[in-house]
Amino acid sequence: MGQYLPLITLLVLTGVFGAVSVVVSRVLNPPRPTEAKSSAYESGITDITEPPERFPVRFYLIAMIFIVFDIEIIFFYPFTMVYSELGWYGVIAIVIFSAAVFESFLYLISNGALDWGPARISRRSVIASDPDRTSTTTVRRVGADGRAFALDGEES
Amino acid sequence: MDLIWLVPALPLLGFLTLLVAGPRMGDPKSGWFATGAVAASFAVAVALFVDLQSMPEYERQVTQTLYTWMPSGSFEVSIGFLLDPLSSIMILFITGIGALIHLYSIGYMKGDPKFSKFFLYLNLFLASMLLLVLGDNLLLTFLGWEGVGVCSYLLISFWHTEPANATAGKKAFVTNRIGDAGFMLGTFLVFVTFGSINYADLRPAATGIAAVTATAIALLFFVGAIGKSAQIPLFTWLPDAMAGPTPVSALIHAATMVTAGVYLITRLNPIMAQAGWANDVIAWTGAVTALVAATIAVAQTDIKKVLAYSTVSQLGYMFMAVGTQTYVAGVFHMITHAFFKALLFLGAGAVIYSMAHEQDMRRYGNLRKYLPVTFVTFFVGWLAIAGVPPLSGFWSKDEILAGVFNYGAAGPALWVVGVLVAILTAFYMTRQLIMVFFGTEQWRGVAPVPAGAVLGASGAGAGDTAPEQEAESPTVQLGEGSDEPTAHDDHTGHGDHHLMPSHEPKEAPWTMLAPLVVLAGMAAIAGLMNLPFSDQFKRLEHWLYPMIVFENPLPEGPTLVGLAAVAIAAAVVGIWFAFFVYVKRRLDPARIELPILAEGWKIDSTYAAVVGGPGEATFQGVADADARIVDGAVNAVGRGSLGLGTLLRKLQTGLVRTYALGVAIGTVALLAFIVTRMNL
Amino acid sequence: MFGLPTQDEPIPFDELPLDDPLLFDEPAGVVIPDIEWSAIAPNLILMLGGILLLTVVSLVRGRTPSWFSAVWTISTAVFAGVTLVPLWQRVQDDGAESVMAGAIGLDGFSLFVTGVMCLSVVLGALLLEGYLRREGLAGPEWYVLLLLSASGGVTMASANDLIVMFIGLEILSVAVYVMAAMHSKRVSSQEAGLKYFVLGAFSSAFLLYGIAMVYGATGTTNLVGIQQFLSETVLTQNGLLLAGFAFMLVGFGFKVGAVPFHNWTPDVYQGAPSPVVAYMASGVKVAGFAGMIRVFVVTFGPTYGADWRPMVYALAMLSLVVGSFGAIVQTDVKRMLAYSSISHGGFILVAVAANSEAGTAAALFYLLVYTFMIAGSFGIVTIMGRTGDGLHALSDYRGLSKARPGLALLFTVFLLAQAGVPFTGGFLAKFYVINSSVSQGQYVLALIAMSAAVVAAFLYLRIVVAMYFDGNTYRGESATLAGPKVRIPAAAGVALGIAVVGTLWLGILPGQMTSVAGDAVAQLVAIGP
Repeated sequence: MGQYLPLITLLVLTGVFGAVSVVVSRVLNPPRPTEAKSSAYESGITDITEPPERFPVRFYLIAMIFIVFDIEIIFFYPFTMVYSELGWYGVIAIVIFSAAVFESFLYLISNGALDWGPARISRRSVIASDPDRTSTTTVRRVGADGRAFALDGEES
Repeated sequence: MDLIWLVPALPLLGFLTLLVAGPRMGDPKSGWFATGAVAASFAVAVALFVDLQSMPEYERQVTQTLYTWMPSGSFEVSIGFLLDPLSSIMILFITGIGALIHLYSIGYMKGDPKFSKFFLYLNLFLASMLLLVLGDNLLLTFLGWEGVGVCSYLLISFWHTEPANATAGKKAFVTNRIGDAGFMLGTFLVFVTFGSINYADLRPAATGIAAVTATAIALLFFVGAIGKSAQIPLFTWLPDAMAGPTPVSALIHAATMVTAGVYLITRLNPIMAQAGWANDVIAWTGAVTALVAATIAVAQTDIKKVLAYSTVSQLGYMFMAVGTQTYVAGVFHMITHAFFKALLFLGAGAVIYSMAHEQDMRRYGNLRKYLPVTFVTFFVGWLAIAGVPPLSGFWSKDEILAGVFNYGAAGPALWVVGVLVAILTAFYMTRQLIMVFFGTEQWRGVAPVPAGAVLGASGAGAGDTAPEQEAESPTVQLGEGSDEPTAHDDHTGHGDHHLMPSHEPKEAPWTMLAPLVVLAGMAAIAGLMNLPFSDQFKRLEHWLYPMIVFENPLPEGPTLVGLAAVAIAAAVVGIWFAFFVYVKRRLDPARIELPILAEGWKIDSTYAAVVGGPGEATFQGVADADARIVDGAVNAVGRGSLGLGTLLRKLQTGLVRTYALGVAIGTVALLAFIVTRMNL
Repeated sequence: MFGLPTQDEPIPFDELPLDDPLLFDEPAGVVIPDIEWSAIAPNLILMLGGILLLTVVSLVRGRTPSWFSAVWTISTAVFAGVTLVPLWQRVQDDGAESVMAGAIGLDGFSLFVTGVMCLSVVLGALLLEGYLRREGLAGPEWYVLLLLSASGGVTMASANDLIVMFIGLEILSVAVYVMAAMHSKRVSSQEAGLKYFVLGAFSSAFLLYGIAMVYGATGTTNLVGIQQFLSETVLTQNGLLLAGFAFMLVGFGFKVGAVPFHNWTPDVYQGAPSPVVAYMASGVKVAGFAGMIRVFVVTFGPTYGADWRPMVYALAMLSLVVGSFGAIVQTDVKRMLAYSSISHGGFILVAVAANSEAGTAAALFYLLVYTFMIAGSFGIVTIMGRTGDGLHALSDYRGLSKARPGLALLFTVFLLAQAGVPFTGGFLAKFYVINSSVSQGQYVLALIAMSAAVVAAFLYLRIVVAMYFDGNTYRGESATLAGPKVRIPAAAGVALGIAVVGTLWLGILPGQMTSVAGDAVAQLVAIGP
């Protein structure tokens, strides 16, 4: 068992740390939730659009492209270390790999990942602001229909 | 002999043709086509029977294998048919009576919007039933078994515009599935024990198996038989099944399908011979069912319900017979019963037809004047079922009673029950005859019988949907299960379907009367098959002899004569007593027709209230739930077995964290189990 | 290369499979594995088909006809299916093999499952075609994901290495997570995708824990090696191995929707786009069960069957009960079918719990039949959802027999098949499962399975009754089909045709397929010389 002692110590420490964090935060900051506090932005301003709707953020796509290259580099690096031993087999394998990775790059570009500017607005969000809207009414449990506590007035 | 496959194939062909071309053929061509298919099947059955008769006694067992259906290692099942004395006689009366009832239905269903569909189902039913009796292995029989169940369901709810009919259909289906589980398990046990499920292999191997195994197999199959043949405790579906059209009641719920349980037990007699006390269970279940159902029949006012309970009771007789291993008598009674009960049902159908679809016997009376043919044939049926010699019912019933009497220590006790049932049978059948055909013309009275009368809500399962219907049309609907959907009106030719005081009953068309006459003839003379006078008259016994391993011998000489005398006396007493009550009016009928009897000993309502399984409540609960969905008030569903489902629904919160918790709990449970298996 | 430990880390076992070239020959130089591409041809075709499709439509964006992607996908799947034939012949003649440096098993089992996967791709693509058009959703992405996930499933079913199997599972799952969320106009679809993703990731982690533990206990992730090791060695401490069983079972149990890891099923099935559900219920489950059988029955079965069987037994029992009873109270047809698929999963688990070749064959046959009937059922749900994919309440089916009698009849066939009515595939599938269970002495489980079938039959009956109520009113409600007109796209019609023919064919003439399922034994063979 001796060889596992560090592991166990670490496990215990992790647990203690987690427990202490929770307890301390409770002690220092007793929970008194108000509606405003528990809303999405603590400022008390309710959001005016449907949260699940997609909104275009170009950066996401840029980030995706970054990941594509990132992964590529992560795999290329070890390859360069042993490429001479792998020979043609290695070259073919890495070509297959790069092809698959570049393929996704191609797809991203074709989807307009690099088209900047307000070229087209594919779908304009309908601003469905309702004066009665609060953070509680904004919470929707989709898929709750048919279940016991399905809220009234919810559409699916 | 190569033609065996034709017997089930012809009705199947009829079914397929009607499926494709039925609506185009229309009314009445599709009916004639279906009848022709069954009649052809009957012709083949006759040819096969003759052929089989010409063979030496011990070679009368022909298997025809069409193809191997399920080849999987040691377990091989083929689509094959077994023609032997038992199945040959079964297919004879199934196709024969089937053809007659098809013919009858042409008249009865005339003008129905779903005319061709009705015959389509009937043909499918016959194909399944023939598969059931001809199958050369248990699985094939099971397929037929399931098939007849489905058809029965479809036909009961044929007029499913009536919620009551649909509910009754569902009830029949689900109750039967309980029995089916027994059948399935029995099949597996047979396979595990014998390594085969072919009937041909069972017989030689059966002597070698342990008594415990045989008992278990016997009981499992008996569970299956209970469901299909409507024995206690699963008999409640049969009276409700009267919601179907009357020819269906005659064919499926009297003559053929419900006797499948008796057939099955007879077929498995080699195992039954080893099964010890399982036979006593069968015999006593039959006896109790016969008695309970007969008492209920006494107080029914619906013409079909009386016959339904009577069928349950007569099936009880048959189970008494096979339980006491008097198989010949059981099969004998099955055949005679098929004739006279089909006759009575068809007669009842003709009466209902003539009386603008009124089913309450208290609104009949003196119909012999208007329906002479129906009356005469019904009269023959009555004599037969009451056990008056020399009609067929007497001989078969007498043989059962004699066999039962001879069955060990319990025999006399069973016999006493049997005699009691015989008296009751004669009584309630006479009561029916008097109420329908004699006395005053009750429908001439001004006021229809009030729906809310004590006996108004007749029949088991009363109160399920009755209030609703009564509210709609109080003059017609007495109790549930009425044979009168709105979709059925236009075919009668009587115009208004309300039974008016001015109504003049008219005899049904010849397509309906001809089957009655033929069946009346058969019901009268079918006893000739097996007369006890001397050996050479016992034709059925000799015919079945090769395939029955052990037959309980009948008593000899004076005992037999004595028992027969008691049986005749029972019939006379029953008839006289009914005469005494209903004609002479010496005793108020209300003192006999107790409300508890009218409500079927409250068995069904007890099921509904307590068990919640096969009972009405669950089905009604679910049906209600269907209705309430739109309002979103699904919470009301939590009744009976739905409790678990409701609990499950509460766990289904829609929140991912709850689900993750579920996964975690499951993991912990698995790990907890693992801890018990660890060796550290 | 897979984060394996180096030699100097303490491994508490003396015997290690030293013949594994990937693991231990590394210091001496790279050994290039012998790769036989033809042996994984079906998998390659599926994957390349997906990637190529994406490339093509990216290059000619917007200039492909609308049917192009569907036709491409179907031809790819059919082509992959065709390549199975010579491979099957090869396996039947020469026996099973290990290919790709022992990472992939080429045996009857994996080929059979590959075939079923191809089938579910074809059915899924056929249903998608009309669906996407109806919903106004563009995109070849659906089809690409369909092909890629199928490739993952095939990898999973044929993996001879736990790590490869895990990769296969992830390829399968990630693609399906996305597909579940791809109906951008339905919020519930996105919710379904998210739920599925979160819980799926959660359960994948369990699977990975399990794999790690089994590796710790046996010293290899190769199934052949594990099987060999376990049969040659008696473990003095089996805790690690058994805990690995439990964790892996959680992972697989989640994928196949076994109770208590089933919670996601109703919500996801209800929310996800209907054709995707058809694929999820058939393809994903098939792959999940294939992986489970490969690991538990084939690898651990001979030596440690007694230890995992009770767990599977319990899961099977719970799935049967919860699946059947849970379905009764549902009011949404998709949720009903979700519960019924849980119950079907329970049936297949019964076959898995049998831990025998007959059980495996029964499970395979069940999966094949199940693919036909469940894809058919969800195909009808797809059509009946109508524009918006939202009309799934039981009441929305009322009066269907009047409006579309053919559709009602087909649905009835699928439902009856699911209920196990004779002369449909469902009957034989259930029969074989129960038979395999009984022959292993699991009478109680067989009894529960049969009772569950009875209860479930009632559920199917409810749908049938709803469809066939054809009077003017039923309890005050209109019994005519509400909502917009039901349109059956041609492709979906073809899918339903295939499904119904398959369902009936397997019920009436099952001989061929049962013998194929019987031949489709899973074998773990070490790498050949």
